[in-house]
Amino acid sequence: MLMMCLSLGVLPVHAADPVRIGVAEALTGPASQYGIPILNGFLLAADEINSAGGINGQKLLLITEDERGKKEEAINVFKKLIFQEKVLLIFGPTLSNSMFAAGPIANAAHVVAFGTSNTATGITDIGPYLFRSSPMESDVVPATLKAVGAHIPLRRVGIIYGNDDAFTKSGYDVFKSSLQQQQVAIADTETYARGDVDFKAQLTKLKAAQVDAIICPCLAEEGANILIQARAMGLSAPFIGGNGFNSPALIDNAKSAAEGTWVGSPWFDGNAAAENQHFLRAYRQKFHSDPNQFSAQSYDALMMVAQTIKKITFTPQLDKNRELLRAALPMVSFVGATGPFSFRPAPPHQGKPGGYDAHQTPFVYVVRQGKFTLVR
Amino acid sequence: MNWVDWWATYSTLVLSVGVYGMMALSISLTLSCGLLALANAAFMGIGAYVSAIATTTFELPFYPALLLGTLGSTLVALLIGLPVLRLSGVYLAMATLGFGEVVRIILLNLDITGGPLGLNGIPLLTQWWQVLLALLSTVIVLQCLRVSRIGRAFEAIREDETAARLMGISTHPLKLLAFVMGASIAGLAGGLNAHYTFTLSPGNFGFENAVDILTMAVLGGIRGLPGPLLGGAIITLLPEVLRDLQEYRMAANGLILILVVLFLPQGLWDSQRFRGWFKRA
Repeated sequence: MLMMCLSLGVLPVHAADPVRIGVAEALTGPASQYGIPILNGFLLAADEINSAGGINGQKLLLITEDERGKKEEAINVFKKLIFQEKVLLIFGPTLSNSMFAAGPIANAAHVVAFGTSNTATGITDIGPYLFRSSPMESDVVPATLKAVGAHIPLRRVGIIYGNDDAFTKSGYDVFKSSLQQQQVAIADTETYARGDVDFKAQLTKLKAAQVDAIICPCLAEEGANILIQARAMGLSAPFIGGNGFNSPALIDNAKSAAEGTWVGSPWFDGNAAAENQHFLRAYRQKFHSDPNQFSAQSYDALMMVAQTIKKITFTPQLDKNRELLRAALPMVSFVGATGPFSFRPAPPHQGKPGGYDAHQTPFVYVVRQGKFTLVR
Repeated sequence: MNWVDWWATYSTLVLSVGVYGMMALSISLTLSCGLLALANAAFMGIGAYVSAIATTTFELPFYPALLLGTLGSTLVALLIGLPVLRLSGVYLAMATLGFGEVVRIILLNLDITGGPLGLNGIPLLTQWWQVLLALLSTVIVLQCLRVSRIGRAFEAIREDETAARLMGISTHPLKLLAFVMGASIAGLAGGLNAHYTFTLSPGNFGFENAVDILTMAVLGGIRGLPGPLLGGAIITLLPEVLRDLQEYRMAANGLILILVVLFLPQGLWDSQRFRGWFKRA
């Protein structure tokens, strides 16, 4: 057994050998609500690539590990995939916090770590081997505010957000600075904690502030509750949400209270582009359920990596192949289920080169008659 | 697999075994004098945050940062230990759990701790031998304590606090000593942990972690030092060892813990049980 493992490390890569790709996502625990749709996106893309004959005759082999959304496990999984499974690159982990823990491992080992769901600022400061296909909130929010401002007057707004969660807090930070840039006054800021179900106190204050709109960088669970309670107390100002609102659960739970809510997000299920329609059809056929933004982003990520690998001539050495991939990946120019995509180099951080962020125009849409409708 | 690859893959796991061994020892210290105090995760968090802020924001070297982290949690333990240790039993457990929540909320709301985003980009400074040294020193200090007058006083307090007081043992200062020493060990463990996991967030040191640490000590057995070390190693390694079970992994993890507690209520390492084996033989 020992001899076999030893020899595996030095075996040259033959044309018939599969391309080994690591997938580290949260498949159990609270973060699995994101991790499982992400994994489904990868599985769908791998199926399509392999049934079309693979890449230059090589099949794709996904090696999936559960990181449970915990930092220590994310590190352990990354090390296992890099040093033991000898993967070419790693997709994941699911949460930004896990990427802050595991990203430095991949960067130090000169292996591409490709996040498809990490939106926090600073992820790509870790180093040049860090890539992500998920646009940061700071890219999505200004575009959302501009699009909404073209339809309704935005002079005074109120904000309500969860101040104990990395995702909602960074969403708030970004909304606040873009509102200041676009010279919109913030009349009132209210906060809640994760798991809260009663928002009447905060909403009463927002109602008294008489605002044009209410910014809600919330997750869909709390968002639906906030919408219902706001409408029940006669608060009629429209809501503007971020990525977290891009969920069918928002309309399912809030029903008519979701009407007129604005959402900015990198993916739109009603996008009529052929790539998206193909993705929707294939996903529903394979998993008998509707995809979400996370599966669309992971599907696109594996597709663009496959497109990049096609152009690379692999050497027998894994180290060199990993470097070749890193060098080729920034040149990606791709159109997928989430629309046109390319990478944008992150500015150097403390004199060290950064990684690559997503360069993508978000979709802005509004809920009309119980459906997300694209805003032009 | 050769040694280099093995170490590259599992070095973090080995460090975690050492650090969580220290955490299990730290809670077994308070348990050994009959205190069910569940603040160790919070003290680990204080140590981790203080030392990480020292190395990142103030760019201090590693050793002074570790010392600051340890001192920080020691000081906080002294301040809250004075009033809180007047409680006992479930009331003490509740008060210390409440303290843990307070620490988590404070970490969430301060700017210097990065709020809910946490601290990122913490340099990798912890070496394996530093963890080993910290663990060994902890074991040696605790072993000296056990065989000393203080250790026997802890045991007396655990068995019957009133009787111990009647024997002339000043119980309150001794309980405070156990609580504060436990916090120092936890603070040091936290500082070491922060510098090999690159990131800290307030959720890392919450209720779940507090219960994990208690489970380590109880699973291993609290009558003696090998028990908590064994328990810490098992709880840390089990999720990785069971990785091949995939989605059934955490269920198997829980099942093993239930079986151990059902059939070995004194924990895995029970010196009395071992003595019984030799007598029969």
